[in-house]
Amino acid sequence: MVPEQQQLHSIGQATWRRDGQAKVTGAEEYVSDITLPRMWHARVLRSPYAHARIVHVDTSYAEALGAVCLTHADIPKIRYNERIVSTPPHLYRDRYVLADKARHVGEAIAAVAAPTEAAAEQALRALRVEYEVLETITDPEVAMWDGTEPIYTNVQLGDQELSIEHNIAVQRTIELGDIEHGFANSAVILEREFATSRIYHAQMETKGVVCRPESDGGITVWPTAQSIHNVRQLLGEIYSLPLHKINVKRVPIGGTFGSSIQMNSVIPICVGLTLKSGKTIKLVTTREEDMYDHVRYPSRIRLKLGATKDGLLTAGHMHALSDIGAHNTQAFAFLSVLSGWWASLYKLPAMKFEGKAVYTNKTPSCAMQGFGNPQATFAVESLMDDLADALGIDPVEFRLRNYVGLGGTFWGQGPSVQSIVLSDGVPELLEKGMEKIGWPGRPVSGSQTGRYRRGIGMARGFHTSGAGAPKPGEVIDYSGAFIKVNEDGTVDVVHALMDHGGGTLDAIAKIVAEELGIPSDRIGISPADTLTTVYDVVTHATRGVYAGGGAAHKAARKVKAILLDYASRVLGIETNALVIEPDETLGQGVIYCPSFPERRITVGALAKLCQTNSWGSIAAVESLRQVNCPPAYVAYFVEVEVDTETGSVRTVRAVIGSDCGTVVNPDLAVGQLEGGLSKGLGYALVEDNSWEQESGRLLSKGFWVDGKTPAMSESPLLEDIDTFFADSYEPSGPFGAKGIGEAATNPCAAAYGNALYNALGIRFTELPITPERIVASMVAAESGATKAVLV
Amino acid sequence: MLPQTDYVKASSVAHALDMLHQYGTGAAILAGGTDLIVDMRERRREPTMLVDISSVEELAEIDVGTGNIRIGAGVTVAGLAGSAIVQHQLPLVTEVTRHFADYLTRNRATIGGNLANASPGADLVPPLLALNASVVLATAQGERTVDLNDFLVGPRRTLLLWNELVRAIHIPTPVPRGQAYEKLGLRTGGAIAVVSCAVSMDQAGGECRRVRIGLGAVAPRAFRSSEAEQIMEGHMFSSDIAARAAEAAANSSQPISDVRGSAEYRHAMVRALVERALHAAYERSSEPQE
Repeated sequence: MVPEQQQLHSIGQATWRRDGQAKVTGAEEYVSDITLPRMWHARVLRSPYAHARIVHVDTSYAEALGAVCLTHADIPKIRYNERIVSTPPHLYRDRYVLADKARHVGEAIAAVAAPTEAAAEQALRALRVEYEVLETITDPEVAMWDGTEPIYTNVQLGDQELSIEHNIAVQRTIELGDIEHGFANSAVILEREFATSRIYHAQMETKGVVCRPESDGGITVWPTAQSIHNVRQLLGEIYSLPLHKINVKRVPIGGTFGSSIQMNSVIPICVGLTLKSGKTIKLVTTREEDMYDHVRYPSRIRLKLGATKDGLLTAGHMHALSDIGAHNTQAFAFLSVLSGWWASLYKLPAMKFEGKAVYTNKTPSCAMQGFGNPQATFAVESLMDDLADALGIDPVEFRLRNYVGLGGTFWGQGPSVQSIVLSDGVPELLEKGMEKIGWPGRPVSGSQTGRYRRGIGMARGFHTSGAGAPKPGEVIDYSGAFIKVNEDGTVDVVHALMDHGGGTLDAIAKIVAEELGIPSDRIGISPADTLTTVYDVVTHATRGVYAGGGAAHKAARKVKAILLDYASRVLGIETNALVIEPDETLGQGVIYCPSFPERRITVGALAKLCQTNSWGSIAAVESLRQVNCPPAYVAYFVEVEVDTETGSVRTVRAVIGSDCGTVVNPDLAVGQLEGGLSKGLGYALVEDNSWEQESGRLLSKGFWVDGKTPAMSESPLLEDIDTFFADSYEPSGPFGAKGIGEAATNPCAAAYGNALYNALGIRFTELPITPERIVASMVAAESGATKAVLV
Repeated sequence: MLPQTDYVKASSVAHALDMLHQYGTGAAILAGGTDLIVDMRERRREPTMLVDISSVEELAEIDVGTGNIRIGAGVTVAGLAGSAIVQHQLPLVTEVTRHFADYLTRNRATIGGNLANASPGADLVPPLLALNASVVLATAQGERTVDLNDFLVGPRRTLLLWNELVRAIHIPTPVPRGQAYEKLGLRTGGAIAVVSCAVSMDQAGGECRRVRIGLGAVAPRAFRSSEAEQIMEGHMFSSDIAARAAEAAANSSQPISDVRGSAEYRHAMVRALVERALHAAYERSSEPQE
């Protein structure tokens, strides 16, 4: 709840995004729109084999055509981890700019650059590569067998060599309390195995990069990226360039869903070509290349939960196996967060997590919206419904008895990032959600007959807001902002934060406007690059508004103090007797003393006076690490209708409640929830990625034709999506705000699973729940094959 | 990127045929390009000459002839959707246009291209089979007309010779009044069929006449299930007979397992979709003549 004395003029107002017009009209310039003088074009040769030694790359024909070629022989022999969000000792480094060995179909083997796209394409086809094809390993279980071909013999962990045994990239065991004791004191114990799929991010924009050599030996880079600073640091490390000679520009991004949290693989390739050729080079990937570039971490989760007859959880045991594909981008972090989301969903007096991440010859996994959370929540929230059923307790009531709320410990990014929950809208979300969906009137599970059957299900969850915590952990998390007041009272905000399309930078402007008492249309967001901004780790972990906004808020407070200081000099009033408020008539901020309202000056007049009197600039730069990671809670209630003849599922209604603390921009916040539903229902019902066992190729061949995401026609009508926000205030957030984006999708698949259980009386444990799987499960259920394991 | 190729914009059918004759097997007909361009990008086809027929007006006409409706091969799917003749007489075709890919593709893809590409899952084929369509093939020397059922040989294989152009599709009239279409894809829009089925029939006092059942995506080529048709033909309509015909249709299909679905699922879906389409077609056949 917003403290009563706080009268907000900017936060909480539905306003247009400042980049909205450019995006809608097509004026916005993405990487693929960038054209520079004398620019060359690059293409990447990618392995057609899932697992092969590279015997020889012959570039002579391509070079004879006038192309510049880059192979493994040309690049610095430095192994790197493309996602430098974990602290250095926890970075698993297993990749080179161009591969020493093909470990998945689509792996970059060599690259060419030529004056035109057509010439580059021709040169690409003139490259000759000799491969020695090795056994393709697509199954993570097979990967761990004795005698299976090793995908790696060793990688680098931090600065140390680490030998890889049985293709296991990383293992993690986390144990708290005595689970044997906990299970022994349980009235009911349920155990099930769940599987979630390796879906493609399906962001609108593929990856691109433009690199220009500078006359001082430096480079300027325009990449598709979520973190310009991390891209710069990695390029400096790989190519031994001093950081002040690398300028990485922030370019608007066409969505990411996490797929650019790492430095995209084409960025150092393009830089390598530029450094070798001295040319300005542009490299943009096709959709087919992109679909072979990254997927969500899949999971096989065996989950066991126990509860007393009063409906209190006693203990939990989770085994998790993830098929990470050909590179370890962040498997250590993935296992950490998987355990963390689970530990933070419900209070477990004793828990044991055993996780394994295994290499296979498939597209590498990377973070995707929710990073481990949709996977963990699907398993936990499905089993919670079954437990409630077994105990004869209403599923919502069962959750209220056990959830981690106010005063509880929340793991924002695995075991090393923990803080105490300070704001909790869960009871309100569940109560209102039940009322809106008509919870008491839902059918008895499995009681229906007939062709069309309806069901109502719910699931709850959250995402963290940032990865900050009181103690330093395994994760880097801080932001910085530079704010200056211009000579007419407008404001420039210089912030390295990336906006993925959700309006994060617009929220930053609103936070600054609120603090400064200046109308938000007088706040500008400056273009950003690494030469002129201070460090921001990356836009991920739903940290943009909470952590990036927190830093901007801190800088704005300092700017405000400077403003008031100068105003005090002009008005002859003590600094702390002055306030700044937006004046609608004047259209700008006005500084005045409430006791002497005639003593007033506009921010514009003051700023001009500061300049003409040569007092100096009104500006501040601040850096902030948030020392909390507040959970942004979400509750889903969905009603589905199943056509039992075809297995098709229609979403009749969806109710989504969010506790994101103070709502910064209601329209955009609703958009986040609707978008979360769209991605979530795709994960639940539609999206899948399968690999041919022999060849390691995608069955969809890397095309949209068979790599499906839901279309508008799969989505419920807007009037059937009911979104609402809890009355909540996060004391540690800027004006009470916390995150929303990833939270918006996390419980969605579980809610669908529970709604389908309600409609059909069948528990689905594997995603996606396709029509075909529904039909097959109904046939199996009729023969009595699926029953919960009751101990 | 596309392979490099020469290109000519044909001004007439005669011009296009002349180009085909001149360039032989290296030439490819470009109409909407929704299949050809994809094939070229994937290097499945690398023609040396593209003969663009998209501006040939004589291919873009729909008219009512004696004993048939003639649809030019260059009519786009959007053109079919907007045609009053099609809406009035061939509601089955209007229906399929609503399930065909997406708006952008419908604006470019042509009926002739959809037939000539001979994909087992081509959306327009099952309805045209159910409407007993024939295909007019032209060469510089003249024309021949073949049944659509004969025209389709196998996956991506037709009777079309290297120097021939699909010129028009003829649908015999009067067309059966009872028409129905069912398609199941991985999603409701912009998806290739997992199974599709089209039914047309007449009735006289409840007795099914001229029953034709076209099936797509469940065999190497789209086909008519004569086994299912024979069960219905000349019999009084009933739920029981529709179920039996649907079962026969399923048994006449030879689906494969692929990324879109397993053979078992497809088999079961043929039964479900055919049964549904037979009921719908029969109900519509009962509607009074306008």
